[in-house]
Amino acid sequence: MLRVVVADDSVLLREGLIRLLTENGHDVVAAVGDGPSLVAAIEQHRPDVSVVDVRMPPSNTDEGLRAAVEARRRVPRSPVLVLSQYVEVSYADDLLADGAGAIGYLLKDRVAAIAEFLDALDRVASGGTVLDPEVVAQLLVRRRRDDPLQELTPREQEVLALMAEGRSNTNIARTLVVSDGAVEKHVRNIFSKLVLPPDDEQHRRVLAVLTYLRG
Amino acid sequence: MPSVENMTTAPTLAGTAQPQHVGFRRQLAIDTGFTVLGFPLAIVSFVVVVTGLSIGLGTLVIVVGLPILAGTLFLARLFADIERLRIPAVLRLPRTRPMYRTSEPGDGVWKRIFTPLAQTQFWLDLVHGIVHFPIAVAAFCVVVSWWAAAIGGTLTIAWDWSIPRGPDNQSLAQLIGLGDSTFARVGLQTAIGLVCLVTLPAVVRACAVVSAGFSRALLTGVAEMRQKIIVLTEQKEAAVSAEVTALRRLERDIHDGPQQRLVRLAMDLGRARQQLDSDPDALRDTLDEAISQTRDTLDELRGLARGIAPPVLTDRGLPSALAALASRCTVPVELAVDPELGTPTGRLNPTVENTAYFAVAEALTNVAKHSGAANCRVTVANGPGRLALQIVDDGVGGAHAAKGHGLSGLTDRVRATGGTLTVVSPAGGPTEIGVDLPC
Repeated sequence: MLRVVVADDSVLLREGLIRLLTENGHDVVAAVGDGPSLVAAIEQHRPDVSVVDVRMPPSNTDEGLRAAVEARRRVPRSPVLVLSQYVEVSYADDLLADGAGAIGYLLKDRVAAIAEFLDALDRVASGGTVLDPEVVAQLLVRRRRDDPLQELTPREQEVLALMAEGRSNTNIARTLVVSDGAVEKHVRNIFSKLVLPPDDEQHRRVLAVLTYLRG
Repeated sequence: MPSVENMTTAPTLAGTAQPQHVGFRRQLAIDTGFTVLGFPLAIVSFVVVVTGLSIGLGTLVIVVGLPILAGTLFLARLFADIERLRIPAVLRLPRTRPMYRTSEPGDGVWKRIFTPLAQTQFWLDLVHGIVHFPIAVAAFCVVVSWWAAAIGGTLTIAWDWSIPRGPDNQSLAQLIGLGDSTFARVGLQTAIGLVCLVTLPAVVRACAVVSAGFSRALLTGVAEMRQKIIVLTEQKEAAVSAEVTALRRLERDIHDGPQQRLVRLAMDLGRARQQLDSDPDALRDTLDEAISQTRDTLDELRGLARGIAPPVLTDRGLPSALAALASRCTVPVELAVDPELGTPTGRLNPTVENTAYFAVAEALTNVAKHSGAANCRVTVANGPGRLALQIVDDGVGGAHAAKGHGLSGLTDRVRATGGTLTVVSPAGGPTEIGVDLPC
């Protein structure tokens, strides 16, 4: 069971999210409708994860993003899963800038696939990074030429892209139709090519993804 | 961008225009005065300008010519200004004066001298000072002669006796073979006088119009063209701004409306699939909700589509479309629309129809949301060349068309068509919104 803060200015969606989360055994500790109250709620409740809408009052622009960044400045590494009608790479950059992980960024529609949504929520809560496949696709286009990622083989890039979506090794293996062992080998190669020091597995995954994003 | 306050002052500017209908006697007096006074003015300005120009050009090589030329240009402008004051009465136009760039307080002597030298309008004024001279003289001669012939000829019978007649004296009647009788002489001259008298207003008018028209072309033509360009540019900017605002709002409306509902619908359907196995009783409720969610989404999409291009407006014209709008408004609306606007022959062009429709829609939204009014009246009158809308409510007032207020999008939209929007809304009400559209 996770303690969750929900932030969305649309009552309709807030209600929907609360019901969905409650039905699946989570505890919604606060539901807010604007940026400043989100910051306050995270500070007060220290939730396991917050589900945040991007466009909220008072500015009605990317208020949710800015509030999330501000909240994580006050409560470091507080996990945030951002939901939006649009996913844009520049928004993802803002979120990942502190390099701490525990960030998710998904298109709102993904909520409909409830099991996957809950899974993403779990992974963000435990410090992972979950990006929408659309963001990942945009990132692939945005590659620079003098990029450490150039050293990766196409297969390794594929694996890294799936890691960026927040998938586990088993999941990646299933998607690419290879064995778990093969995926583990690819992941080890990625870590060594990106010169990531041996650390705990989860943190290295986050770092690899961040390298990937900043490419 | 000028605010609405500026626009509301527009009528007073138009008020300086000369009245359109002037009695012919008054017009005759104006035209005569114009040409008669034009003669001495033309002489003085011709002499001054030609002298100044000659001396200035002649001494240009020893630099002294530059300040002399500049001085001459300023004098030419003075004469041009006098002429510009005189033109409106004849041509029945509003008074205009071109923009002259003036030198800055900190400018040096040479910069001050070059300021007029570098401006086209100054030189046009100078050309006017010279070229207008023959025209003014000709106009003066014709007008004075015509008056003399008209008065003198018509009254021949009164003074004919006083003219001494020597033996060699031959009258006009004699010369053209009408004989030397007093009757022929007086009759012919009276006839000529009467012809001149009858044609006097037309001839004097023609002289004044030619003279003033020439001056206008040189003295305010360029300025008028520039003014027109400024107005057109503003209209274009307003059109672009209106479009940007409308598109942003559309995006926002889609985002806040149907998009949210569809996400929620997807969420509910996801839950429904879960409940299929775990909680079949709750499933029915979830599906019911999903169905009502779908209905709401459709309603919102319909509303949005209506906001983009209302079908009833396209099909039936303004009266029906406005009636539909009024019936949806939460405040009772008393509607008076020229029914002619709904007939196939009376329909306006689509841009005007659209703007008028959205002006009323926006104003009514404002009334419903902010005014607290109990009643509202919408009047649409179709005059020649213009469509006048008026939306009056008995609410609390305080409406404003400045940026950031509900009516600001409307301002741009109306301006884009070359129309004007006036908002009179004192605190405490009533609010009166007037829209004037050219069509």
